Amino acid sequence: MSAPGQPRFGSVDAARGRLTVREVDAVASARGLAPEDLDVRLRADASSRRAVLALFTVAIGWLIVGTIFGDIASIKLHSPDFLTQQAWLTFGRVRTAHLHAVNYGWGTAALIGMSLWLMPRLVHTELKGVRMAIGGAVLFTIGIAVGIVAVLAGVNDGMEWLEAPRWLAGPFLVVGGGLIGLSLFWTVASRKAEHLYVSVWYILGAFIWFPMLYVVGKWPTYSGVESAAANWFFAHNVLGFWLTAMSVGGAYYFIPKVLGRPVYSYQLSVVGFWSLAMFYSLNGMHHLVGGPLPTWMITTSIVASVFMFIPVVATAINLHMTVVGRFGALRYSPTLRFVVIGALAYTAVSLQGSFTALREVNRVTHFTHWTVAHSHVGGYLFVSFIALGAMYYIVPRLVGHEWPSEKLIRWHFNLVLAGIAIYVVALSWAGVAQGLALLDPAIPFQESVRRTLPGLWGRSLGGLILTAGHIVFAYHFWMMLRMPERATRTRPPFHEARPVLYTAEAEAARR
Amino acid sequence: MLPTSLAIAIVTVAMTLVPAVLLFWAWRRGLFRDLEAQSRVIFEPRDWRVERPWESPEDRLARKLAFGPPEAAAPGEWGGADRGGAA
Repeated sequence: MSAPGQPRFGSVDAARGRLTVREVDAVASARGLAPEDLDVRLRADASSRRAVLALFTVAIGWLIVGTIFGDIASIKLHSPDFLTQQAWLTFGRVRTAHLHAVNYGWGTAALIGMSLWLMPRLVHTELKGVRMAIGGAVLFTIGIAVGIVAVLAGVNDGMEWLEAPRWLAGPFLVVGGGLIGLSLFWTVASRKAEHLYVSVWYILGAFIWFPMLYVVGKWPTYSGVESAAANWFFAHNVLGFWLTAMSVGGAYYFIPKVLGRPVYSYQLSVVGFWSLAMFYSLNGMHHLVGGPLPTWMITTSIVASVFMFIPVVATAINLHMTVVGRFGALRYSPTLRFVVIGALAYTAVSLQGSFTALREVNRVTHFTHWTVAHSHVGGYLFVSFIALGAMYYIVPRLVGHEWPSEKLIRWHFNLVLAGIAIYVVALSWAGVAQGLALLDPAIPFQESVRRTLPGLWGRSLGGLILTAGHIVFAYHFWMMLRMPERATRTRPPFHEARPVLYTAEAEAARR
Repeated sequence: MLPTSLAIAIVTVAMTLVPAVLLFWAWRRGLFRDLEAQSRVIFEPRDWRVERPWESPEDRLARKLAFGPPEAAAPGEWGGADRGGAA
């Protein structure tokens, strides 16, 4: 603790202006807090500010790029003559670039940013290794960019979800992600909180699991059908152990925090985490039902997929019962609107995944557009909605003022919800129609393709609406970053790093 | 096939057993003691007192009795550009 009359916050001062002990004490006492509590929160939020803002900015950039690539790939499916003159714009490259941009550039960067902001708050200390985290974010971004450029240039490793060349992009991704992970583990090791909240388990788990998956997936010795097995071991687990883990960790923070009430059953949240940790890794092989792999691998995976009911239902009951009776809050809180819909989508996509793994269902849906629709419920409606909700909550606390426009938030929400709804309904329907046609020997293959065309047009329409929503969000975010000079009209909540400077108590104390 | 099956089987078993060992370790370390307190670690005193416009009068009274006089929500309290009214 610094001497009376001296600034209490050391390096934090530079980022947020000077706040004397007297001012902190005045604010703390007016709000019923011990000055030490306020000190801890101020340090936690200020410490992660630069790294989180950098990651969010990069993530939103990739969201726009990735969605445009997705639109191009989608249009090519019903209008194959669209943009065929350039090799880098062919379907195989554009579709892969889309996948990398949205899953790693957008989803991963946004959720890492969220985790860097959450972790110091959850363990009541500053983010440790801030420069390491920022350096990691820079390297990670370079890795994503190198990977996508390589894919567009036709250089890739030929494994779905792992196309970015291991010797070009890999080192940047490994070192970058590793540095961010080290910063998080160092932060937890320096924790001042006595208890580890369940979100900490999810985030730390994600940062332990992902390197294991990446090493197994990228091991350079596979060939042929072996690659398929290793591929789906990685590709499915990266959803469950990486994107899902961080997203559910976020939902467990934002829903209770906004509602001002603890989760319905903390015991259930513990059951949900540990059952995910122990059973999820067996799931991936259900993508290869009917493939030339040992039957025991596929069957074990199907059984494990049904086992997923345990963590999913535990999490679903918990989050739903936390919100139940308070759904009116969704009208007031954009954060809650995104996060609660994301949590509902987690339940939906997980149960859908368990059913789709069953052989009888898989017979129809395998190799059809159904799988693409399913992955968008998970990757977008679940993961991205939680990331967007987190951003709406976090960014004002980082830049020190409120989002400038309620109208833009409404436009963003309505566009992306409508877009993803059209996308998923159209493509799911197309997938079932395609699967049933493929199973009927009397129907020529060409007819099975023709029957999917309305669904493919619906997919493109939904994708374009999503892109419009993302442009609205990116513009709003850009306005947010440019706003500080004229942001005095709105006062953000007092209990955050910078906003405390603007409270009446602090101003009175300063006078 | 054996090499791949073996690699995946070993990693899968490791990914199942390591969490089991960690769970035991965490339990022994007392990390699951007082789960009620753990569930409240994300809250500050102010979080309990802030008036939430969607809550019923009964909820507000319960908050007041449990945590003291209510506090008005700040602009953007709930994440987003809402200024205390419904968006």
